[in-house]
Amino acid sequence: MTLSRPQVRFLRGVSGIAGALLTWQLLAHSGLFPPGFTPTLPEIASAAVRMIGEGQIFIHIAYTMARVLGGMVLAVVIAVPIGIAMARAPRFERFYIYPLSALMPIPSLAWVPLFIIWLGLGNATTLLVVTYAAMFPMIYNVWTGVRSINPIWMRSAMGMGANARQTFWKVVIPASFPFIITGVRLSFGRAWMAVIGAELLAATDWGLGRLVFEAKEWLTIDVMLNALAVIGLLGLFFEKVVFQTIDRMTVQRWGIVRDNE
Amino acid sequence: MFAFWRVERTIISLSSFVLGAVLWEGIARSGYFPPAFFPDLGTIARSFINLVESGVLLTSALGTMSRLLTGFFFAVIFGIGLGMIMGRFRWAEDVFLPLVSIIYPIPALAYAPLFVLWFGLGNLPSVLMVALAGTFTIAINVWKGVAAVKPIWIRSAEGMGISEQGLFWRVILPASLPYTLTGLRLGIGAAWRVLVGVEMLTAVDYGLGSLIFGAQKFLNTDVMLSGILVIAVLGFTIERLVFELIERRTLVRWGMMTT
Repeated sequence: MTLSRPQVRFLRGVSGIAGALLTWQLLAHSGLFPPGFTPTLPEIASAAVRMIGEGQIFIHIAYTMARVLGGMVLAVVIAVPIGIAMARAPRFERFYIYPLSALMPIPSLAWVPLFIIWLGLGNATTLLVVTYAAMFPMIYNVWTGVRSINPIWMRSAMGMGANARQTFWKVVIPASFPFIITGVRLSFGRAWMAVIGAELLAATDWGLGRLVFEAKEWLTIDVMLNALAVIGLLGLFFEKVVFQTIDRMTVQRWGIVRDNE
Repeated sequence: MFAFWRVERTIISLSSFVLGAVLWEGIARSGYFPPAFFPDLGTIARSFINLVESGVLLTSALGTMSRLLTGFFFAVIFGIGLGMIMGRFRWAEDVFLPLVSIIYPIPALAYAPLFVLWFGLGNLPSVLMVALAGTFTIAINVWKGVAAVKPIWIRSAEGMGISEQGLFWRVILPASLPYTLTGLRLGIGAAWRVLVGVEMLTAVDYGLGSLIFGAQKFLNTDVMLSGILVIAVLGFTIERLVFELIERRTLVRWGMMTT
């Protein structure tokens, strides 16, 4: 019996994951690390059941999500006007380009100790770090997106008597939307790492990063691995479900196909 | 007329820095923050010069860079290897792609506490984290690059009787290079961002991350800002200068990319 192509693909994918799990299980039984450091799969699973039963994991998730989404909103509010201004007016471009080139290569986490001194441990610091991390990919993509608008679209809109506001909402925003979405995606990737890092270094009680950090202090590696899995699954969910849905509902529906994917 | 226009341009470009400096100095002197929390520019400059003269900044920067390069070296080997195998062999793509797409979205920094428990504090976990952060970014881009090699190039090379080895070195490797370089650039960016955070958690002896983190305990804000300044310069150098040079030497020269 020959298997169809999707079946082969599925079976091989499953065997790859099974192989990785088996390797882990062997590592757990090998005694290479102290027993608590590499918990076996049943131990990890029972920790997962216990965590869901206790329900605190959901509060951790809620805190992390609130921080990352809050930071993203702030970043969008700051970045979109700057990006558009830079693309539309050379003066703004010249004003912003050097400070941006200076700040962009600084990893957001380098600021954490300084922000802790200024703002203390907790939400304000975490939020600021997330905003910092998310801001630069947004600015860069909005700037590129607005610059790349076909000038004919602008001219024809104005030729047909659109005023500045109509041109902005009906041409500039939709035409640069593929880039804005790419910017949001990249920003989310940066923000996701920043929120976990900032929570590791600066969170007080709640948050997935904090959960990982506490699990290290208490040597509960089974809890830590489950927290890592939750972090990965949430990241995957946003990348595969949320952003692709937004993409389908806007860019693809409007027929503006981006050229890079 | 032309000269005036140029002067105006320069003034606008500089004005952002002047404005930033004035704002900073204003806040520092307003007394809103204690001076230790928000030092004025003169104090920062003196502290920076002190740190340069005592060699602290240099040893920290060298420590960080050597960790970055060691970790990235492994990331390049594993990432290109994994990406090439996934791109060339369908079975490898089927087996590894689900694993890679599960591991990839976990920010590498989240593993840091686990790595500290397994491998202790210091250099080993830092280098491993850098390698981990870079590997998957590189692998995914190399895989895309190999998949994007035009089949007709492979077929014509095979038609002209190229060996399997020759096919790899003379067709697949150069043809997938635009993607590979993108992967390397993204990979070293990711590795760099992770490394600065990891150094804070693994308390390495000489590193910019641990320098900044250590300065927090003594409220040495001026030391932190000096460290951040060095990080900015290094980050800029890595992202812009090095890779732009490589791209000019290869892709642009071969006509695969226009500047």
